[in-house]
Amino acid sequence: MIKSILSLKNVNLSFGGIKAVQDVSFEIHENELLGLIGPNGAGKTTVFNIISGFYKADTGSIDLGDVCLLKLAPDQVNKVGIARTFQNIRLFGNLSVVENVIFALQQKIDHSWFHSLFRTKKYLDIEATLRTRALSLLKIFSLDQLADTPSKSLPYGLQRKLEIVRALASDPKLLILDEPAAGMNHSETEDLKKLIQFIKTEFKLTVLLIEHDMKLVMNICDRIVVLNRGEKIAEGIPAEIKANKQVIEAYLGKRS
Amino acid sequence: MSLKSKIIFLVCFVGLGIALNFFLNSYIQALAISFMINSIMAMSLNFITGVANQFSLGSAGFVAVGAYTSAVLTKEVFNDQWYFIPLTALIGACVAAFAGYLVSLPSFKLKGDYLAIVTLGFAEIVRVIFLNWNHVGGPRGYNAIVKWPNFTMAYLFTGAAVLITLYVLYSLKISWFGRNLWALNEDEIAAEVMGTPIAKNKRTAFLISSFFGGLAGGFYAHNMGYISPGSFGFLLSVQVLIITVLGGLGSISGSIIASIILTVLPELLRSLPTKVDVRMIVFPILLILMMIVRPEGLFGKKEIWTFFKKEGGS
Ligand SMILES: Nc1ncnc2c1ncn2[C@@H]1O[C@H](COP(=O)(O)OP(=O)(O)O)[C@@H](O)[C@H]1O
Ligand SMILES: [Mg+2]
Repeated sequence: MIKSILSLKNVNLSFGGIKAVQDVSFEIHENELLGLIGPNGAGKTTVFNIISGFYKADTGSIDLGDVCLLKLAPDQVNKVGIARTFQNIRLFGNLSVVENVIFALQQKIDHSWFHSLFRTKKYLDIEATLRTRALSLLKIFSLDQLADTPSKSLPYGLQRKLEIVRALASDPKLLILDEPAAGMNHSETEDLKKLIQFIKTEFKLTVLLIEHDMKLVMNICDRIVVLNRGEKIAEGIPAEIKANKQVIEAYLGKRS
Repeated sequence: MSLKSKIIFLVCFVGLGIALNFFLNSYIQALAISFMINSIMAMSLNFITGVANQFSLGSAGFVAVGAYTSAVLTKEVFNDQWYFIPLTALIGACVAAFAGYLVSLPSFKLKGDYLAIVTLGFAEIVRVIFLNWNHVGGPRGYNAIVKWPNFTMAYLFTGAAVLITLYVLYSLKISWFGRNLWALNEDEIAAEVMGTPIAKNKRTAFLISSFFGGLAGGFYAHNMGYISPGSFGFLLSVQVLIITVLGGLGSISGSIIASIILTVLPELLRSLPTKVDVRMIVFPILLILMMIVRPEGLFGKKEIWTFFKKEGGS
């Protein structure tokens, strides 16, 4: 049986006169990789911002399992199990690579002010465990050698990778990636493709992926949702999407 | 620090207090205590403005709340017994922290630099309240506050307050909470998405900072023996800000060094045989020079001891 993990129903959002998202509904099934595609300005990032709590939908509903996300702030959305990355990388630039990950890990811990203030053994143990966990996570992605470099000095491709690792560190059920291949060259994109597939199987995650690179999307996604001018125009497996006339028109422009 | 070095430190700390009682004249002694109080104020501001990167212009307000609370309690509840000073200063700090909590409620709802305006307003409101509150002397101020019985006591208790402030704020700076604040001022949006409640973290930082501002106030009142609304004007907030910036925003121990410099320097300048107040010329020049030569302050974000040994720690 297919179980849906996140469902959007009739979501609407306008900015002044612009209807950025119109009546969008779709579901993400457990353990699938769903692609969200569409031309520039179609409203993909806006959908992400609604899911992650930055924008409040005007109408409609969004549910993660039994949890209604509509009223939650971004930090609460993370707590219920959604982690995301950004179209423009947002790392903590002056924090080291490992601290970026520790930061994500420590949000899951109930710290005691008493122990932190007196730097008790218990506190120091927790700190040491966090670092060990962060390092072993970084090791999986071969970033452990760079653990103590400031994250802003990583090359672009690795910054993208670290942002994904940091999102993973918050132990999400659903990982949402906003154009992770943006600005990457061919071989970096190939690596990214493997990385996403690896995470999906290894961490038993559900992934929602916004992507511009059609080849990448067609290659790795289980299903695809297509947005155009804020509206959903198609949904289906890659082969169906490739053959869909409306999608081709949206991308190539109408032939007259 | 090992146990042995802790004991040595303690012995030196106490011994110095007893020795200085005999060797320093009362003018230098007063200066030493005033430097300590300034450094508590500066460390307090440094935590919110340096570590948490939230610009506050209201130090004087919290110092005033602590000073008046502590002074009134010692006189009216504890019958002018000097050994209650640490207790009343602590209560003053708690009242200031509560005031800080109230101020923080509206301040962090909106994103952006509203805090500077709100804190500026808060400090002014506090000053005007004390100005019109006849029970605590109104514009005449609150007089005959009990003072420390001798320099050694003043030194030991104020010094202990300095060390506790340094220890607490530094521990928090390098703790998970400090990491939250650091991440938050690197990228608020990313921090929020990773599960940190932004406003809550800022409020907590502000409350902690207000607490120590209030603590400084209590010690200030009992060191001077007299306080008035005029002592807690905008100028005080600016002075504290200058000390904090000089020491380095984010360097808690840097605030102590900067306090020494900016407490002693004005006194040296005061003794110059000129008609005009040279301090008014030298301070701005000093500030401008620093902005050009070393905009991050003397120590930047680093603590003093990191310059002496490879790995940090206290
Ligand atoms: N905060 C905002 N204020 C006003 N308009 C916005 C805002 N965010 C997005 N938009 C508009 O919404 C539309 C969709 O944008 P976006 O979701 O970023 O598209 P995509 O990610 O698909 O390229 C665009 O027309 C954009 O200008
Ligand atoms: Mg986008």
